[in-house]
Amino acid sequence: MLDTLLHLPLFWAALTIGSFLLGQRLYAALGNSAFLPPILTGIVLVGLTLELSGISFATYMEGGQYLHLMLGPVVVMLAVPLYQFIHVMKKQWLRISLAVTLGSITTVGTAVFLAAWWIGDDAISITMATKSVTTPVAVTLSEQLGGIGALASAFVIITGVFGALIIPPLLNLTRLNQPHAMGLTLGVCAHAIGTSRAIELGEQQAAYSAMAMTLTATLHAVALPFIL
Amino acid sequence: MAGLLTLVSFLILGTLVQAQLNLPVPASITGMVLLLIFLLLYRRIPNSLTQITRVLSPLLPLFIIPISVGIVTQKQLLSEHGVALLIILAVSLIPGALVCAWIMTTKKGES
Repeated sequence: MLDTLLHLPLFWAALTIGSFLLGQRLYAALGNSAFLPPILTGIVLVGLTLELSGISFATYMEGGQYLHLMLGPVVVMLAVPLYQFIHVMKKQWLRISLAVTLGSITTVGTAVFLAAWWIGDDAISITMATKSVTTPVAVTLSEQLGGIGALASAFVIITGVFGALIIPPLLNLTRLNQPHAMGLTLGVCAHAIGTSRAIELGEQQAAYSAMAMTLTATLHAVALPFIL
Repeated sequence: MAGLLTLVSFLILGTLVQAQLNLPVPASITGMVLLLIFLLLYRRIPNSLTQITRVLSPLLPLFIIPISVGIVTQKQLLSEHGVALLIILAVSLIPGALVCAWIMTTKKGES
């Protein structure tokens, strides 16, 4: 009976939804702490269940694919916030474009260089290049470019959690902590998780962070395939 | 539902354009750029799209969980390089954040 259940695709779809729901509850209970995003809880719970039950990832995906299917339309949907931000950024477009472009080149360049030098595995280096992009884009992009989708997701989430942790004190220390600079930096370097940290810091930080995260994802998604 | 139809239609369009032009950019990203161009020409966001965005945005992380769980297939790689990867991810944030914040702060009069 248990074995039948564990091989039922819909069971795994339900477990994924349940784990995410639990992640959301936990996140809310901890006052929306940027250090425990619901997606992280969801992945850990589902991953642990797979490990404990000895079910393979392929079997899991027979159910997981129903949710995975929505990734495409959701990435297309990112055009909506992007369109809204294009209006907001008109006045400062040059400064914002420069910050987004040079900031991401610096962080991605450093990561890819370090990975190539220290680990020297092409798939890992390529996956590293997508680390600062919001997860749905990173996963799609990484697979297209010959990286590892699952690893991309892990890199992105770890980057987000680290970024939310490191960036605010770093910018306070260097006195580069004006609200717009803080928000934009969190968005470029730490995407959605950085943005949830920015929301805690204030309205201006949140707006700049959300904008920066969307611009970064678009820039990387369009530029990286031509660079790599 | 009209909003969902729009999204899926642009995804199909993106897939066709990507295949036709042999673009290295993923189909969904191509679809996103096409939808952005449409919105720029249309000059506003149709109600149906606003609605579907409101429904789907909070669910976005859920749709990423399945592929992310694939990390369980990378155990060997993680046990071999896990620490190095964590250090690289943390260290590479610092120069990027400083460049970003510096550009946003320099010549302050403009902002």
